[in-house]
Amino acid sequence: MVRYRKWGWGLGIATASAVTAFGVASWQANAAPTAPSATAEPPGGSGQARVSDPSPLPEAATGSGSDPLTSGELEKARTVALTPELASGAEDVTGKAGPEYLSAEIDVEAGGRQAELYYYDYKTDKLIKQVVDLTTGKLAQSFSAAGMQPPASEQETKAALGLLVADPLGAGFKESYRKATGKELNGTDGLVATAHTYTAKPADQGASQCGNSRCVQLIVKTENGQFLSVSEFIIDLSGRTVARLK
Amino acid sequence: MSEGSGTMTYRKTAGAVALLTSAALGVAVPSAASAAPASPCGTQAMVKETLPNGTTWRLCWRIHDKAGLILDQVFLSTKRNPEPVQVLDSIRLAQLHVPYDTGDMEFDDLTDLGMGGGFLETLTGDDCKGGSARVGSDGSEQPQQRKVLCVSAEPSGLAYRAREEAWDDNGPQPGKLDSKQGHDLVLRTISKLAWYEYVTEYRLHDDGQISARLGATGDLAPSSEADANRGWPIGTGDKYYSTMHYHNAFWRVDFNIAGKGGEKVEQYDTALDGRGEVTAKLKTTRTAIAKEGNFSKVNQRWWRMTSPNSKNADGHQRSYELVTGGDDRYEGHPETKPDVTFTQKNPCEKYASDNAVDPECPANSKTVIDFAKNKENLSDPVMWVRVGFHHVPRDEDQSPMPMHWQGFDLVPRDFTAMNQLTPDGRTGLNGDPQPDPGPSGAQG
Ligand SMILES: [Cu+2]
Repeated sequence: MVRYRKWGWGLGIATASAVTAFGVASWQANAAPTAPSATAEPPGGSGQARVSDPSPLPEAATGSGSDPLTSGELEKARTVALTPELASGAEDVTGKAGPEYLSAEIDVEAGGRQAELYYYDYKTDKLIKQVVDLTTGKLAQSFSAAGMQPPASEQETKAALGLLVADPLGAGFKESYRKATGKELNGTDGLVATAHTYTAKPADQGASQCGNSRCVQLIVKTENGQFLSVSEFIIDLSGRTVARLK
Repeated sequence: MSEGSGTMTYRKTAGAVALLTSAALGVAVPSAASAAPASPCGTQAMVKETLPNGTTWRLCWRIHDKAGLILDQVFLSTKRNPEPVQVLDSIRLAQLHVPYDTGDMEFDDLTDLGMGGGFLETLTGDDCKGGSARVGSDGSEQPQQRKVLCVSAEPSGLAYRAREEAWDDNGPQPGKLDSKQGHDLVLRTISKLAWYEYVTEYRLHDDGQISARLGATGDLAPSSEADANRGWPIGTGDKYYSTMHYHNAFWRVDFNIAGKGGEKVEQYDTALDGRGEVTAKLKTTRTAIAKEGNFSKVNQRWWRMTSPNSKNADGHQRSYELVTGGDDRYEGHPETKPDVTFTQKNPCEKYASDNAVDPECPANSKTVIDFAKNKENLSDPVMWVRVGFHHVPRDEDQSPMPMHWQGFDLVPRDFTAMNQLTPDGRTGLNGDPQPDPGPSGAQG
C-alpha cells in the first residue's frame, strides 16, 4: 500500500506540470474551484458540482488544430476558391455569374489548416468542392460532380419560396395562407421558409429529374408562427419550375 | 486527426516518472498512454472540467454545418489514474433519417438540412441552467460566434455503495460505509429544424462511461394527417390523426484508445450450454470481426473495441463496450436495419445514409451498407451506431412535446485495472476476492 501511494504522488505532480502546459485553466484550479465568479452555478444552487465559465474571447484571426474556420480564414479561403474561371463561367441560383456558395468547413484529417468550400453551379448542375490550403493561401485541389445535393443556402431557400408563390400550382398555398392569417398573400412578405434538398425516389411522380436537378421541399412559416402545408410541392431550382407530388 | 504519434509531443517528465515507477512495480504502463499531447485545438474550442469525484474530461468541440456538434480528442483522467488517456478520436451524429408512416414524406436531416449553422439555436432561457454556455462558431457559411454549447456538471445518482462486513463478540456489526454520489460532465447543443427541436447530448460520466443521445422536443409536424393505421388521434375526439413516423439516428464513433489506434472489433455471444448441478450452464464465445460488416443485436450479444497496443495495470487490453438500449428498427431501407456497422476509416464515408454529397468522393457510396460492402480489413475501425424511435404521437405531445431520448452507452471494459472511483481503503481489492494466504501483489 505504501508503495502504491508513493507512485500515485509522483504521477500527480508530473501531471500537474504537464497540464499547465496544455494551455487552459490549471489542473489545480479545476480540482479545487476557489473562484465562484468564474464558475457556473449548479442547478438548485447547491454549490456541489460546478464547471468553469470562461468569458468568451474575441474570435482569433486564425485557428489551430481542429478549431472551426475563423471568419478571417474563411474570407481568405473564399477569395482563393473563387477562381476567375468559376466567377465568370458558373452561375448561381438567380442566374447571376459566379457559383452558388453553400458551405465551408475545416478538414481536420488534412493535418494542417485546410478549408473545404462547397458551391453549386447552376450552369452545369454540378456540385463543386474547392480545397484551400490556408498556410500557403493557395487552391490545393478542385472537384466537381453531378447528382450531389447538399443542403440549400439561404439565397436558394428564398429563391424556392419565390418560385412557389409565383407558380400557378401555389394557388392552394395562397388559400391556406388566407385561412391562417386572414390576409391576402403579398409575395413572400412575412414568410419564413426552411428547405430540405430533395432527391427523387424510384416511385416519384412528377419530380423524377430531382437529384440531377437541384430541388427542394419547403416548410413555410407565416409571420404569426403558423406552418403552412407545402410538402407536396417540389421546387426545381435548376429548371425554375414547381411540381406537385402524386 | 491522424492516429499515431506523428502529431504528438510527449511531456518527457511525466512519461519518465511513469516508466520508472511502473518498472519498479513490475507492472505494464504503456509509455505513450501516460504522455500528455500538445493542444489539439485553441482555448475557445476546449472543454476541460473536473467533476467532484476527481475525474477530468478534456476534449475539443466544434460545430459542423451538417453534423452539428462534434467532439474531438476526448481524454480521460481520474484521481486514481491521473495521467490523461485518450478514449475517442471523435464522436458525432452521422444521420437523422425521418420517414413518415404514410410513405409520402422522408428526410435525411443532416444532409438535406443540417444540424448546425442557422439551424443551431443560441442558448437562452433554461437551456443551460446551472451550466456554462460556451461561445463558438455556429459552422454556418458566414460563421457567427454564438452561445451554442452548454457545458454542465450534473448529478448522476448513486455511483456505488458498499458496506464492509464487521464482526465482534456480539456478532455482525455495521462496518465502514463507502457511498458516493456520481456526476456527469454534460455537453449539449440544440438544433431547431422547423417545428422539431433536437438536442444533441454527450454525457461523460466520472467512471469513464460515455453516453450519446438525441433528444426530440418542440412540436409535432403540422398538417400531417393520416388514417387510424398510420396516425393517432390528438385533440378532441378523432377529427385529426397525427402521422406516426420514425426518428432514425446514427452516430459515427472513432476510438483512439490511448492514442494508439488500431482497435480490434470483437463480438460476444452467450448461449445455453447444457446443465450444471443446479441450473443451465451458459457459454460465452468471442468472435473476432476482422473485416467490415453490418451487424445486429440478438439476445445476449454485444461488441467491444479493444486496443491491442494498450493495456491497463492488470495487463489487460483496454477496451470500450457498446451498450445499446431501447430501439425500434425501421425496415423500410436496408441501411436502417443493422444496429452497428464497423468500417475501415475512410474520409469519404461521412453520413450513414445520403452520403454522396462530396464531389471528391464516389457517387455510389451512399449508405453504411455500401461502406461495408467490400469487406476491407479493419486496421483502423470506425463504428456506426443506429438507434431508431418509432414515434406514435400521443395527446401529451401537445405542447411542447415532452423531451424524448434515444441513444447508447460506451462503457469502459478493462480501461483501468479497477473502478476509476475506488475509494481509499479499497485499493487492495483487485483480483480474487478471497485469495489463498500468501504475499500480496502490487496494485494499480
Ligand atoms: Cu417525432
